Formats: sequence, C-alpha cells, structure tokens
Amino acid sequence: MTSEYLLDELASGLTPVRSRSARRDGMVLGALAMVELALFVMMGCTRPDMGHAMTEPSFWWKLATLGLLATIGLATAVRSLDPSVAPHRGLRWTAWLAGSALLIGWGIDATHHASATLFARLEWRAGLACLFSMVMLSLPMLIALTVLMRRGAPAHRRESALAAGLGAAAWGAFVFFFRCGHDDPLYIVFWYGLGCGLTALAGRALLPLVTRW
Amino acid sequence: MREDEADQWGAWMAAAQGGHGGAYRRLLGELRQWLLRYFARRLPPAQVEDAVQETLIAIHEKRHTYDPARPFRPWLAAVARYKWIDRLRAMGRERTDALPDTIGIEDHESGVTSAVLLRDLIARLKPAQQQAIRLVKLDGYSVEEASARTGQSPSLVKVNIHRGLKQLAAIVGQSPDDE
Repeated sequence: MTSEYLLDELASGLTPVRSRSARRDGMVLGALAMVELALFVMMGCTRPDMGHAMTEPSFWWKLATLGLLATIGLATAVRSLDPSVAPHRGLRWTAWLAGSALLIGWGIDATHHASATLFARLEWRAGLACLFSMVMLSLPMLIALTVLMRRGAPAHRRESALAAGLGAAAWGAFVFFFRCGHDDPLYIVFWYGLGCGLTALAGRALLPLVTRW
Repeated sequence: MREDEADQWGAWMAAAQGGHGGAYRRLLGELRQWLLRYFARRLPPAQVEDAVQETLIAIHEKRHTYDPARPFRPWLAAVARYKWIDRLRAMGRERTDALPDTIGIEDHESGVTSAVLLRDLIARLKPAQQQAIRLVKLDGYSVEEASARTGQSPSLVKVNIHRGLKQLAAIVGQSPDDE
C-alpha cells in the first residue's frame, strides 16, 4: 500500500475524538478510590480500636507513607499516558519515599523494645491473610489503570506499568490499613512491602503486554 | 521542523480532533515528509517506508492523546521515537541467516509471471477483499494491522480474506488452461 493511499484512507474515515486530559483521568481514579474506601468503611471493615491506634506513631507513619506512595505512583502513571511525558522522575520520587519510609520505620522500631523473636513478630498466618487482602483491594485500581493505559499512549510502557502497579499496590495497602490491627513496624515493612512489591511486579510484567500500541 | 510549522500542525491536529478531514489530510501529508526524514536518519532504507506508515497509523489511533493546549512538536517526536524504538526491538528479534556462497539462483521468469497473474486475478475481486488479501496474504501484515490500515474490523478482514480466496479459487477453476 502506498503512503498516499494510506493518508487518504485515514483522512476519509476521520471521526471527531475527545482530547484526553490527565486531569480527567485523575478525577476518574479519584472517584474510584473514594467509592472503594467508602464501601470499605460502610461495610464495617475498619479496625475497632481506631481511637487507640491513632495515638501510635506507626499509625501516622503507615498512613502518610501509603497515602504518598499511592498519590505519587498514580499521578506518575496517569501523566505518563501522554507520550511526551516520561515517568522516570515520578519513579525516582517513589523510590526515595520508600527508602525514607523504611528508615523512619526502623527508627520507630528502635524505640519499640519488642521482646518476641523476629520470626514470631512476623505472624505468618495473619501476614498471609493481610497480603491476600491488600492484593485484592488493589485490583480495582489496577484494572482502571489498565483501561486508561490502553486508551492512552504511554511511550515508556514498562516504566508506566511499574508506576501503575506501584500506585495500585499502595492504594490497596492504604485501604487495608484501616482494617489492619498490626502496628509492629517489622510486620508492616515485611508484609506491606511484600504485598506492594507483588502487585507492582505483576503490573510491571502484565500491563506492557496489553497496552502495546 | 520550524516553530511556526509546528504551531500550524498543532492547529491542524486540533481541527482533526474535531473531525475536520481536510486539515487532517494536509497534516498527514506534511507529517509523512517529516517522518521520512526522521526515519531515513535512523533506519535502514528498506525499513523507512514501513516505519513511516506505522507511525502515521499510530498518530491516527492516538490522536486524542494530543492536548491542543500544549506544543505539537514534543508529542509528535515522542510518538515517532516510540515507533522507532519499537522497530529497532523488532529488528533485534528478527533472525537473519547468512546465505551460503554456493546457493543456486533460480530463473525469475515464473515468479514474475505468477505475480502478474495473481495481480490480474485479485483485481477481479471486490475492493475490500483485494485490500485484505494484499495486506495479509501478500505483504505479510497481521489481521490487526490490516484492520488498522483499511478501516475494516478484524473480523471483517478475516471474512474478506476467506470470501476473496474462495472467489479466487472459483475464478481459477473456471479459467481455461491456456489463459
């Protein structure tokens, strides 16, 4: 087929399109997040000792870290759906934030004076249940991001997929945080880190396969 | 690409997003020239035309991702770069075997005759069937690529190939041997 023929074909079948807007995509994700969180709270899934938990430093550490990670990850993913925007800076911020969160968690743990062994503190049975819940709660956001990625034009698909995976994972962990009764920094770093890591890796591995353009 | 040229292209793309076919046709014509220069500096000559066409199709399919409030040049350059990298990766995956020095080269007469005959036969089909068969069966495009290039849905491409080949078989079957 000659290029001239192709150009005629493309121009002759032209239909109006609505210009994509990162702000609109962000609002869609924001609405989804609010609905998921509201449903979670309305279903009575929040921890019963919330008042007491709020007096613990680890509560605010978890809240701030997961909230920021979700915000930066999701914003990075959405912005990178414009082919002229690269996600690298957002990913660097995410890595910096995760590293800082680990340091702060280590600082909180140092004042904790736990008597149990490291293995006992991990509470494998509860941890696996937490892991499963976090991954499940991240799925709505991951699916929404997949739809947006397919509609957008990410020029750095792998990095965009990683940002999407991280954002969705952090959001799933953020919602689960209102349910989770564990405040031990070691438990949180291990299980929340594992949950977020698994979802992020799944996003990084799978999203590029379905978002090729 | 000059600054005023890029501004004009941005305005044409904004008009194209509103459904203005004339502005879009002019834009595609100028983008084609720009892309030819772009890929000529980055790809082997045999790959340039294909890369240009792929990029034009990508621009068409993703035209809604251009924000008219922003400059057109970075958007275009990012799409072209993406397709260029895509093509480089594909070239890396393609296997090329060196031909032995002793390989025999056959007479091309039968091939040329077949090509001419095939062209005449295909010309008897409906235009949509001709397009689908040429792209998928002769040029080696996938059904999805042929769908994007022709505007037919993937299912319609398959149907047109199936019916076209059936029609070809019928034509060949009815033709006298001396034709």
